[in-house]
Amino acid sequence: MSRSSDSETMYDLTDVLDFEALESVRPGSNILVSGPAMSGKEDLALSVLADGAERDQGSLVVTTGDRAENVLEDFLDRAPEADESRVSVVDCRGDGSRRGEATASGSYVYHVSSPGDLTGIGIGITECLEYLHNNGAESGRFALTSLSTMLTYTDRKTVFKFCHVLSSRFDSAGYLGLFTIDSSAHDDQTLQVIKQAFDGMIEIREEDGRREARVLGLAGQPTDWQEF
Amino acid sequence: MSGSETPVVLIVEDEPDVAETYNLWLADDYEVRKAGSGDEGLAELDDEVDVVLLDRMMPGLSGDEVLERIRERGLDCRVAMVTAVEPDFDILEMGFDAYLCKPIRSQQLHETVENLLERSAYDDMLQEYYSLVEKQATLEATKGSAELADNEEYLELRERVVELKEDLSDTLGGIDDDEDFIATLRGLSDVEE
Repeated sequence: MSRSSDSETMYDLTDVLDFEALESVRPGSNILVSGPAMSGKEDLALSVLADGAERDQGSLVVTTGDRAENVLEDFLDRAPEADESRVSVVDCRGDGSRRGEATASGSYVYHVSSPGDLTGIGIGITECLEYLHNNGAESGRFALTSLSTMLTYTDRKTVFKFCHVLSSRFDSAGYLGLFTIDSSAHDDQTLQVIKQAFDGMIEIREEDGRREARVLGLAGQPTDWQEF
Repeated sequence: MSGSETPVVLIVEDEPDVAETYNLWLADDYEVRKAGSGDEGLAELDDEVDVVLLDRMMPGLSGDEVLERIRERGLDCRVAMVTAVEPDFDILEMGFDAYLCKPIRSQQLHETVENLLERSAYDDMLQEYYSLVEKQATLEATKGSAELADNEEYLELRERVVELKEDLSDTLGGIDDDEDFIATLRGLSDVEE
């Protein structure tokens, strides 16, 4: 097996979320980011990617809701120092056929017509990974926002399998994967099942206007809640 | 899939010499059926067939048309297209599981058949894994943790989930190949259609 040897660089997420459990995350780890609506899950996931982009790592976002150009603009605001040729987006709100193209500033965008087109998303991810690799990104971070939208297009079984296959692919690629889910939009059984496709979870909640997070499953016992 | 029995490979090829060559290469490891045209191929197809080697350019029904009929019939077999030109991902989007460019060598043929059987095994495992994860979640939702700690069915289930997860990561090299990755995802969507 070629993946995750000791020599590989661990991912340090503590600049974004200061937990000991996130200090040294193994390449190939896939993390579910779970929290109620409007609690900052996507914000957190993109911040983790932006943090990586400023360390010359590749960034790949699969978005089910926002247009690629908006995602790119937002992303580059967060990571002004990023090498744009190592940033890529799979936009699932495309119109018409699947297609990939480099933007004027050198990022790569792949369009898929629906979040239910799993094959198209797969091809987009493959093309993006290749693009990032060709532009010198030896490691990278991936975010999918959001699984909740995917669950409205396809059933739990398919989304579970999709998550598992994607996780395996990112494990092989040595990427760090983040997948957001709106915990208030699904029943407990769905969350319980989807969770199993991941190595760990970052849970978010909002208490009296304060955002708190905790980490489960990545290193030892669940952490305590902590404001971020 | 035909379980632990010898896998069945169906060769659909209009040139008898070529078909016989494939047969000689594969006969030691698989049960081989031969068909000289698309129509004959469809007649030979049933639930027992695991892998189809399908020549793209044949008189009568073309390989693409045969593939379409196979998918219409909802058969669970894997189809490798045998072609004279190197295609790209379009082939996978068309519903083929793999392609082989002529002239084919013995080792390459074996690798392709093995890979397709492994993908079937992966899909079966992933389905079982999902079923067990569902069961585990149901038990966790309906019983308290104290009760579960003594529940033998639950403990066995958890063990099996861990085992399957490991087996899955050992299959297909943990999906490190783009073709395996996309074909596996396509398999997921097919079920939904």
